[in-house]
Formats: sequence, C-alpha cells, structure tokens
Amino acid sequence: MLLRELLKPHRHWLHLSWSAGVGAGLATIALAGIIAWIVHQAVFEPGTAAAWLWLGLAFIAVITRHGLQALRDWAGQQLAFRVRGDLRERMVATAARIGPVHLAHRGHSGAWASRYQEQVEALGGYYTRYLPALGLALAVPLVLLAAAFTQDWVAGLLLLFSAPLIPVFMALIGMGSQQVHEAQQDRQNRLAGHFLDRIRNLDLLRRSLALDAAADEVAETAQDYRRLSMRVLRVAFLSSAVMEFFSAVAIGLVAIYVGFALLGFLDFGPAGQMTLFSGLFVLLLAPEYFQPLRQFAQSYHDRAGAVAAAEALAPLLLEPSLPKTEPEPLPAGAAPLLLRLDRVSLRYDPDGPPALDDLSLNVAPGEDVAIVGPSGSGKSTLLALCAGFISPDSGTLGLAEPARHFAWMGQRAHLFHGSLRDNLALGTPPGTSDRELIAALSAAGLPVDDPTLPKGLDTPIGEGNRGLSGGQAQRVALARALLSNSRLWLLDEPTSALDPDTEDDLLSRVLEHARQRGVTILLATHHAAVYGRMRRVVHLDQGRLREDGDV
Amino acid sequence: MSDWGFLRQVFRGSRVWTGSAYLLLALTWAAGIALLALSGWFITASALAGAGLLLGLELFTPSAGIRAAALLRTLARYGERVIGHEAVLRVLASLRARSFASISRLPIASQRQLRSGDLQHRLTADIDTLDGVPLRITGPVVAAALAVLAATVLAYWLAPWPAAVLILATAILTLAASLLAARLGQARGRALVERRSRQRVALLDYFGGLADLIAYGRADAQRMLLDELDREQARGVLLQERVALFTDQAVQGLVAMTTLAMLALALHWHAADAIDAPVAVLLTLMTLGLNEALSTLPGAFWRTGESLQAAARLRDLGVDPGGRAAVATAERSPIEGGLRDEPTFRARNLAIGFGGEHPLVTGLDFSLQPGQPLVIHGRSGLGKSTLLETLAGERPPLGGMVALAGREVGAWPELRLYRWIGYLPQETLLLDTSIAGNLRLGRPELTDQALWTALETVDLAQALRREGLGLDYMVGEMGRRLSGGQARRLALAWLILRDTPIILLDEPFSGLDRATERRVLARLAPWLATRRAVIVTHAPERLPADWPRHAIQPATIAPACHGHMQHQET
Repeated sequence: MLLRELLKPHRHWLHLSWSAGVGAGLATIALAGIIAWIVHQAVFEPGTAAAWLWLGLAFIAVITRHGLQALRDWAGQQLAFRVRGDLRERMVATAARIGPVHLAHRGHSGAWASRYQEQVEALGGYYTRYLPALGLALAVPLVLLAAAFTQDWVAGLLLLFSAPLIPVFMALIGMGSQQVHEAQQDRQNRLAGHFLDRIRNLDLLRRSLALDAAADEVAETAQDYRRLSMRVLRVAFLSSAVMEFFSAVAIGLVAIYVGFALLGFLDFGPAGQMTLFSGLFVLLLAPEYFQPLRQFAQSYHDRAGAVAAAEALAPLLLEPSLPKTEPEPLPAGAAPLLLRLDRVSLRYDPDGPPALDDLSLNVAPGEDVAIVGPSGSGKSTLLALCAGFISPDSGTLGLAEPARHFAWMGQRAHLFHGSLRDNLALGTPPGTSDRELIAALSAAGLPVDDPTLPKGLDTPIGEGNRGLSGGQAQRVALARALLSNSRLWLLDEPTSALDPDTEDDLLSRVLEHARQRGVTILLATHHAAVYGRMRRVVHLDQGRLREDGDV
Repeated sequence: MSDWGFLRQVFRGSRVWTGSAYLLLALTWAAGIALLALSGWFITASALAGAGLLLGLELFTPSAGIRAAALLRTLARYGERVIGHEAVLRVLASLRARSFASISRLPIASQRQLRSGDLQHRLTADIDTLDGVPLRITGPVVAAALAVLAATVLAYWLAPWPAAVLILATAILTLAASLLAARLGQARGRALVERRSRQRVALLDYFGGLADLIAYGRADAQRMLLDELDREQARGVLLQERVALFTDQAVQGLVAMTTLAMLALALHWHAADAIDAPVAVLLTLMTLGLNEALSTLPGAFWRTGESLQAAARLRDLGVDPGGRAAVATAERSPIEGGLRDEPTFRARNLAIGFGGEHPLVTGLDFSLQPGQPLVIHGRSGLGKSTLLETLAGERPPLGGMVALAGREVGAWPELRLYRWIGYLPQETLLLDTSIAGNLRLGRPELTDQALWTALETVDLAQALRREGLGLDYMVGEMGRRLSGGQARRLALAWLILRDTPIILLDEPFSGLDRATERRVLARLAPWLATRRAVIVTHAPERLPADWPRHAIQPATIAPACHGHMQHQET
C-alpha cells in the first residue's frame, strides 16, 4: 500500500511522535499525582510548608507535558512534510521516465497538476494526525491504566472495561452509517454537484430563458441535499454520542465508586485502602484516559481521505511494464543514416492489437517523409518512438548523433505560460535577437503586427481568455521549430487547425527552410494536400508499413 | 457593508438553528465541567466524611448530579452535532440559492468571468467555506464565552473575587493569543495562495508540455524548478502549521497553569477558612475543565481569515446576502404579444473584437433574409465565434450596430431577445440531467412527442432507440455520457425546440461524421427555410451552394461580399 510504503524511509519521525506522546502521558500521570497529593496534604495535614515545592514540581510537569505534546505534533508535521516532498518528486520523476505518451494515457495535465497539489496535500492528515493518534490511542491509555491499577484495581477495571466497548459500538454504528451512505451516495453526489453544474451552464440557462426556473431548482436541490445528508449524519453522529456516553459514564462511575469507598460503604477488594490522594488521582486520570481515543476517532476521517487520495495517486507512479531502452547510436559511415527502425513492434495494451507491428524504416539525412494513414493507424506512435518518448517492445531504434536534438510538434501544440517571446525562446540558442524571432514568426504565418497580438512579442499567452486559437498555437510551435537548430523535425499533423490556403503557404515555407538547411522531416498526416508535397510517403495501416516509393 | 456584515446577513435566516446548536455546544462543555467538578467535590467531601471530619453528608444529590451530568453530556453532544449540521446545511442551501439567483442577475460581461473552471470551483469552495462558519468559528467562540461566563459566575459565588478574575483573565489571554496567531497565519496564508497558483502554472507547463521540453532539452531545468517551488511552498505550509501547533499547546498549557494557580489560591483560602476543602477541589477541577472550551479558540480564529476572504470574493461577485430574492423577477416579467412576428436582423458597419484591442473584423454589413442562411467562413483565429457572439447580443460591438427589429440587439430585454434569437455557440453546453430535462429547458410544456420529433431531425432518435435509451437517460456532467457528436446533436435539438425566428449557429456539425452531417443538414434545411440564420463554419463547401457566403477577412471588408450582402437587402 502506497501510504505505508511512503512512510518507510521516515519511520523515525513517527517513532519520535509516539515517544513524545507517551512521555506526555507520563507527565500527565505525574501532574495528576502531584495535584492529588497537594490536596490530600492540605486537607489532612494542613500547614506543611512543602506545598510550594510540590506546586513547583507541578509547574515543571505542565511545561514538560505541553512541550512533549508540541514535539509529538511537530514530529507528525515533519513526517508529512517529508512524505509529501518525496511523493511530489517521485511524480515529477516518474512523468519524465514514462515520457509524454504514457503520461497522457494516465490523465491530462490539469489532472496531474491537481493530483500533485491537492491529492498529495490530502495525504497530510494521515501522517500528522492519524498515524500518531493510532499508536497513542493504544499506548497512552495503557500507561494511564497501569498508573490507576497501582492505586486501586477496581477503579482500574472500571476504566479498562469501558474503553474497549467504545471501538466496538463505533464500528457497529460506522457500518450502519456506511450502509445508509452507500445507498444514497449516487444521489447525494449528484445533488452536491448540481450547483456547480448550473453555474457552468449559466449561458445555456440564460439563452433558454430558464434562469429563474433554475434558481428555484437550485434552492430546492439544496434543500433535498440537506434532507438526504441529515439522514446519513443522524446515524453517523451516534458514534460520537457513544464515545461521550462511555467516557462520561466511566468518569461518573469512578467518582461514585471512589466516594462510596472513602465513605467506608464498600468493604470488598481494595476499597478499604482508598485515600483522598488515590481517589483524586484516579479521577484526574479518567478524562485523560479517554482523550487519545477521542483524538483517534477524530483523525479517522483523515485516514479515509488519504486512502482515497492514495488510490488516485498510485496509478500515476507505476513504472512502465518494460524498461525504457536507449536508442542505439548509428555510425557515421559512407552512406550514413539519420534514423533506423529495425523490426519494431509495440503494444499499449498487452491484450489489444499492436500499435506498431514488425515495422522497419530507414531515413537518410535531409529526407522529408510523410507518414500517412487513417486515425488510429499508429502515426503518432511512430513519431513518439522516433523521439524516444516510448520504447519498442521488440526491435531496435537507431539514431545518429544529430537526430538526438530534434524539434517536436504534437497534435495539439503546447504553449507555455509566459510571453510569446518566452515561447519562441524555448528552442533557440541564447542570444537570439528579437529580429530573428519576428522573422521566424512571420515565416510561420503569424506576423507580429497581427491584431490578435496586441503587444507583439510581449503578448502574454495562456492567461485568462487571451490565449491564441488552435491554428495560431500551431504557427507559434512551427516558429519554435524554425528557430531551433535541430536537424530532425518530428511533426504530428502540424497544420490540422489551418484552412487549406494557409496550410499550403506554410508547407512551402517549411519545406524550403528544411531543404536549405538539410533538415530531415518526419510528418504525420492524413491529408492528401499535405503528403502530396513530400518527397517520400510511407503508408501506415494497423501498425504496418507500406512504402510508396519516391514521389 | 463589511465582510462580517455580509456573513451576518447570510446566517440571519437560520438563526434559530445556529443559536440552538451554540447553546447545545455550551451545554456539552458545561456538563463536562460539571461532571469533573462535582466528582471532585463529592470525593473530597466523602473523604472528609469517611474520616469523620464532615457530618451529615447528603449522598443522593451529588451522585444524582454526577449521573445527570454524564447523561446530559451525551445527549447534548448528539444534539449539538445533529442540530449544528442541520444549521450548516440550511445555510448552505440558502447561500447556494442566493448566490445562484444573484449571479443569474449579473450582466453578461460579469457572468463571463465564471466561464473559467477555476473560478467556478473557487465559487463552490467559497460557499462551502462559509457554510462551516457556524460550526467551526462562531459556535466555539459563542459557546466558549457562555462556558467561561458560567464558570466565572460560579467562582464569584463560591469563592473570593480573585477566583472569578483569574478565570476571566485566562479567557482573555487565550483570546489574545488566538487572535495574534491567526493574524500571523493569515499574512502567511495569502503568500501561500499566491505561490500556489504560480506552482500550478509551472505544473501545467511541465505535465502538458513535457514532449516539447524534452525535445528542446529543457525538461530537467523545469523539473528542478518544480522541486524548488515545492520545497519553498512546503516550507511555508510547515511554518504555518507550526504556528498553529504552538498556539494550541500554549493555550492548553496556560489553562493548566491557571488550574495550578487556582489550586494554590483555593488551598490558601481553605487554610484561612474562607472556603471548605470540597469547594477548593471543585474550583480547581472546574478551571481544569475549561480546557475543552478554550482550546478550541485558536482553531476558530485561525479559520476566520479564509472565511472572510471567501465572503469578500462572494461579495465581489455580487452575491446578495439575503432579503431581496424576489426583486429581479419583475425585470424579467413577460412582455405580452409579438412573439410570432418576424423581426428583421441586420449588421451595419459592424466592428467586432475585444474591448481595448485592435478590432478583429470591421465594416461588416448584411441583412438576413428568411430561407437564405448566411454562411460565414474563414480561417481559424479571425474572430468568427466572436462575431456570432456579437450578433447574439452577448458582446458589445466595437463599432457600428447589430439591429434586431430596428433596435440595437443588446438593448432588448433578455426575455424578448431570447424568444427571437436561438444561439448555438461553439462549445456544447448540456445540463447534468436527463435528455428530456435538457430539451425542455425553458419550455416545460413540450410533449414527449415534440421531443422525439426534434431528436428525429438531428438523427439522434434512432441511435437512442437502438441503444435502448429513453428520454430519461441521464447525459452526465457536461454531457460526458454521450459521445461528442451525440452531445452536439442534442444541443441542436434543444435549439430546434427553442423555435426562434432567428438562428445563429457556430460550427453546428462539429464532431459529426460526414454521413451524419449530410443527413442532419438535409432534415434541418426545411426548418431553416422559414427562419433567418447565420452559420459559422470552417468547411463552407459542405453547405448548400445556393446559400449566400461571406468570407471573413481580418479587419477589412471584402468588397465583393459587401455588394452581395447589400443586394440581399432588397
């Protein structure tokens, strides 16, 4: 289980927390003893001057107790701090290891980001509260119980028997409320999400002239939600009532037993030896005896939240089933190749059809190759393989040295938060001038004085609704490729969001640029207008390759 | 009105419930204190009586009192939980209803900010934060005040005045420490929130742009940046948690010290024969018992910051805290007559775009004729969708005007506007309810037969029947239980059932395969023949060739098109 696994390297913080908690329990015993002793002395042997000394000791006990309790909580926080840090570093590292293709299979970037932030945060309570409380709910009552037994075993038994009843009843009630909860969970979730859904659809409701009706519906649903939730809560709250009942009754019973023993009404067992000191001591211990149980009960929902979060996080941390293999270097010989795929096969799903099936392809420097096929034929997979984002299950990928620095354009171009300049600078060597950036932009069909770029190169991207359209984003990504000194370009449907005229225009410029500089292009597309411009076309169908010959 | 005033208004409606919950919480604590103090008194008195130092100790009252306190504590705790949550959920219900009603009355420009998912989530989170105010903030504060007051009165009655002063002073010190810690925490909290959104941006860039980062050799740098940002953020969180933890222990330690001081005082008074021994023990244990109430204060004040921020944001959104729920319905009261008439629709020298920026398109002139849908096409990013939004009256034009029945489109009251204009935007909007619920939106009177007919037109009826799905099929959040093409067609069916004389369609067939698109178009054409329509598309060649076309150009007009449109006006 992920939660336990994460704990392992930092277990000592938990041990520190537990030790501090037990230490605080011992200080509590001392404090109760000292107070009982001071009272006993004052009542039966008044005038003893040592009272101030005992008060001084009590003062030290208080300081010790709260110091240790602070240490207990602090250690729990340190534990959570370290576990969360580990986990986040692991998420980021795993993402890099599995590569962008497998990453996307496990959820979109927003899901990753909110898991990184919120779900990891939700683990905190498990380590700061639940785990420390779990150990202390067992240890501290036992220590206090032992102290009570030294004074009077009947009072000790009273406490001993009341405590185990609490978890039993709470478990019974917990099961009951779980049943009620499960029976209504679907409805409850829908009612809870109703408000957000209607806010999302404000435009639709306005256009339907249904805003007022929706407002009534929101009010009604909120009331339904209340009624439904209360049905569950009324059962669930019985558990805290049980907790209170047993602890209050136990304290009351101890008090009445001690009182009657002191009065001499009871003549069995140790009742005859009861003193004010021992009676008061046991009474002061009684509420402290239940305190760790109460804290444990309160931290129980931390565990539930953490378990749910861990379930969402665990799939993100899985390593790929086959280890990633590094591409083999290709020798620079007489007729050098830039890229060689040798009998490559790959499946995403071990039981599914192969994404690439026994595929071989040689690409020489300066070639431009169109990879053509219907959607789902493996075009993107082939490109990702050449980029090294995924490794083949069998067969080898060879890359010559220049191919290790490549320009990439995915199906949906990703633009980074920042200015247009920041986005272009991603692929440029340091010291590239604005003039070069602007030139690359207009070569990519996005002149810098375009009305949608009000601040030119300083136009912010990715803030609010001021993002660029899909086609503009593709052009920025193309400009990025133009600016890079990469000798291999891997382009996945680079013009899918553009209209035919723009597409044609842009392709001419890209190919011209590539031929001038000897850039090798691998381009996935299913548009005849696009692959018609390429000198070499290979067809992909269900992961198998068929060559057209030179065009 | 201050943020606190706003909160007070919000909770006014459920005052009886919250008040009862506060009283029950105070009672729970009081019963706990009574249980401990009475037990101490009883034990000490018994010890004295057993030693023959106290005569005539009456046993029934104290032991009955102890039993009553134990029982009362249990019942009060259960009642406090149940009634407290009843109060919270009532507040939540009224707050949701009010927020929605207020937001629905905002001008469109203000509503538009709620299109961002982050803001929507923040709104719901803010409301959830506020609903916790009675249980987690005011409840503990009010109940602690009541418990302290009761203890002070009792101490004043049983012992010389310094006992009461000691209790009061402790309560005030606790209050001061809690407020101070909360202030410290809030200042840090704001910085944390800010850093958190910076972190989120970096995360989205890493996870979303990993391919590009690897390609251009920046992945490791971004990864280090993330780890650095997280360490910084986590240290901030840790520091904040530490302030909370030390305040908690400081307050508990303070109450323990006060108990010792009370013990010393009580024993001193006992030695001076001012009070007897059982009362001395009672005073001590009563002070000890206050710990339960006072130790909740740091947490309560710690949370005020986030609640006030939530209240401030809701106030900024224009949420009405109460009292005026019925006002705006008058503004939307029906306008009689004229619903079946055929309003004219034309654009005159129209310029569109975002305020404060270069216009996207200028000098647009056209007039719509029934049965001649105007096809607007052009390459992506030129502002086709913005144009349609402007035509629908949802975005003010940068110049010129859109005239609906001779009057600026944005000047019509909503009720009239949306009975004339049916607007299907690019983004498919569907409610998380049944197919019927989506289709009957704003037209609850429609029969099942009418719904099936509309579904027939968009070629969805057969598919639904084949899969055995009826009108009560739940489409899921944002229509996720339908395919993209099915969702689009369901939205089209909604538009058909709106039955408006003017139709504005933004890429109506996106997500549909060619065959389905042709079928839907064939069935839609006769329906469009009686209406004035604008259709925005990137693939005009798929629409009937006899429909007039307008190629959109950046910030200029195409003269040929201009003439064409003028011609139509005749």
